[in-house]
Amino acid sequence: MPVDHRRIRGPDESFSPRLFLPSGSAKCAAAEDRRSGDGARGNMDVRAIFARCGLVSQAKGSAYIEAGNTKVICSVYGPRETERRDETEMKRGKLLADVRLAPFSCRKRGQWIQGTEEKDLSQFLLESLRPGVLLQKYPRSQIEVCVMVLENDGAFLAHAVTCASLALADAGIEMYDVVMGCAARRSGDAVLLDPTFAEEHDEHPSPSGKESRLTLALMPAMNQVSGLQAEGEMDAESLVEAARACMEGCYKLYPVVQQTLLKSVRKKAPPPES
Amino acid sequence: MATVQVSEAEKVYILHGVRDDLRVDGRGCEDYRHMDIETDVVSNTDGSAKVSLGYSDVLVGVKAEVGKPRPALPDQGYLEFFVDCSANATPEFEGRGGEELGLELSNTLYKVFSNKQSVDLHSLCISPGEHCWVLYVDVLLLQCDGNLFDAISIAIKAALFNTRIPKVHLSEDEEGGKEIELSDDPYDCVRLNVENVPCIVTLCKIGHRHVVDATLQEKACSVASLLIATTHRGTVTCVRKFGGGSLDPESIFEMIETGKRVGKALHTPLMELLKEEESLGKKRQKVGFLG
Amino acid sequence: MAPSLRTLYVRPNSQSDKSSIPSQQPIGKHSSLLENMSPMKLCVPGERLCGVEDCIPGTGTYLRHGHIFASLAGYVLRKNEGEELPVISVVKETEAQLLPDVGAIVTCKVTSINPRFAKVHILYVGSTPLKDRFRGTIRREDVRATEKDKVETYKSFRPGDIVLAKVISLGDVQSNYLLTTAENELGVVVAHSEAGVQMVPISWCEMQCPRTHAKEFRKVARVQPEYLQA
Repeated sequence: MPVDHRRIRGPDESFSPRLFLPSGSAKCAAAEDRRSGDGARGNMDVRAIFARCGLVSQAKGSAYIEAGNTKVICSVYGPRETERRDETEMKRGKLLADVRLAPFSCRKRGQWIQGTEEKDLSQFLLESLRPGVLLQKYPRSQIEVCVMVLENDGAFLAHAVTCASLALADAGIEMYDVVMGCAARRSGDAVLLDPTFAEEHDEHPSPSGKESRLTLALMPAMNQVSGLQAEGEMDAESLVEAARACMEGCYKLYPVVQQTLLKSVRKKAPPPES
Repeated sequence: MATVQVSEAEKVYILHGVRDDLRVDGRGCEDYRHMDIETDVVSNTDGSAKVSLGYSDVLVGVKAEVGKPRPALPDQGYLEFFVDCSANATPEFEGRGGEELGLELSNTLYKVFSNKQSVDLHSLCISPGEHCWVLYVDVLLLQCDGNLFDAISIAIKAALFNTRIPKVHLSEDEEGGKEIELSDDPYDCVRLNVENVPCIVTLCKIGHRHVVDATLQEKACSVASLLIATTHRGTVTCVRKFGGGSLDPESIFEMIETGKRVGKALHTPLMELLKEEESLGKKRQKVGFLG
Repeated sequence: MAPSLRTLYVRPNSQSDKSSIPSQQPIGKHSSLLENMSPMKLCVPGERLCGVEDCIPGTGTYLRHGHIFASLAGYVLRKNEGEELPVISVVKETEAQLLPDVGAIVTCKVTSINPRFAKVHILYVGSTPLKDRFRGTIRREDVRATEKDKVETYKSFRPGDIVLAKVISLGDVQSNYLLTTAENELGVVVAHSEAGVQMVPISWCEMQCPRTHAKEFRKVARVQPEYLQA
């Protein structure tokens, strides 16, 4: 990790005092159901989202999504000339994705320099978006997607996917379909859709001891899964169940995304005379 | 990633073969290529293994070092993964060329092992909050011929099986200070329980079917692949989609089912093989790298 | 399009402003809620517009399994252009993402010249300005249609000139877009003399400075009257 030596810095390693709280005292959302936490949200409910397009004036397209306390902003630049010409294929455009977590976005302070975790997130975003974009329409050019996570209250990667595809549509990049993201956490037998940060990092082991996290990207009109990533312990049936729950979550959010796009189209220009 | 150029006619040939469950090298859709495993190949490591799968060659070395536990998990040791794509494998990896692939592989390995079951991290703890064992798992790619994930995971399992961590004794002096004493006997060591270490099965979607252990040519015909890590009991620890294409939900569920079945079947012969090799002891003739 | 400070502040502060999820909405593959919102039909990417037997796919659409789908978020337009079937296209507020394509007329600025070619920056495609600059090359043999072997690039262009050109190829990995000015209508449209004054064309190969009356060589374009404005 490169370090800036010119500045007076704090100790090499510093920790948040919250880490040393006894594990029980941290307020944990109930793993089995959500009655104690998020108001009236059921296990299979997604958080209501607020989405807008066209906030960044300099970008070709941009979008902002808020789901609970998770806040994500995304800008799209291009198509512009490719910088590096080592790709053998010049007939198709190149999509670049960059996910960054603001240092203050998580409980633990992050680094400004992109770490391996963020590179991994960028790769997931890229692989989720790429099937949805008509890259053959953009020969010799690259399209850049930059996502900044402002606040992480769980499932930020799923919302980043949705946000990025909104921004791509806002930029007028031709797409086969919008890409929707949804996340789930499984703890024991319960599936929690669109989990909050507390639900994601619930330390209390469930009776069966198995827990897992899953993020899925779906193209709803084509009914195709463009991104999938799961980790933890799960059996195949529960994995399928969680994936189905995520797909349902995507379909639930789809109308909101449609409305957001239509609103931005109408706001930008009156209907053209045909 | 090391890739090959495949013409349209070749693609059609491979595609039709896969449709009829007969692949270019004569395998069925769920068959692995010939696999060679050898453990204890590098003397300076605490555990090592070399796996060759077709013409993919992977070398894994495990080194145990004493470190400080992570503050969030004071009573556990941890594993560190690093994958080096050597320029030996393909000139594309020269300089920083292999960095991206190496990062992708190591990030996935962290995900595969990010559960409580795979390795008993509590057994790596020496004194809570102060000292623990850190296992550095270094993966070296010597040859790339497709399906690196599966080869790496098998090599890691074999290397962890082979790993011997020296026994340490924690002694306390009069003032309450703790001291770590290393056992004098080099054979006095702890073994890891690798029963639950998962194996990765990568499934490539080709046409309407999916194949296990794809060669580079087959990989070039596929737009999307699914990685599934399973333990011997069939517990899935990681799933990930790779590649620029998308997958039908139903085919994903099918692939998970296949992956689980194939992965589960992989563990038993692997463990038998490892035990058999160990039983040969020192007399075993080493094959090494030119085998 | 920059949102003013005020509009940023009228953001959701009540939960009700957040778009709630219409749960009773039939969640099908093609939601029908878009029809009754505006007299002009709007669509989002991935929406099925019609079958291939009803329309001809135009811009902002793609074909898949015999149906025409939208690839942009915008207004759906059906136009009859003398064909049997109307052309269906999706339009956004601005011109669709234009990239220099083969055959397109582009406006560019010369950045450097050497005996073999002139390097340019493409600024406009047709009448649409490009947001990002694309680089192009006009080779010596593509400057004019006749006596190609006698072309001298420095007698045709100078850095800073504004040139109308046509794209002949997207080029390969090493090269940029290849452009040509080998038509009467293509070539230099704006050029400045050494005195820094905009020059006046006097023939197809010469321009004159109105202040010093010095003549300079250029490959001059005969601009079509319909493109001249103000």
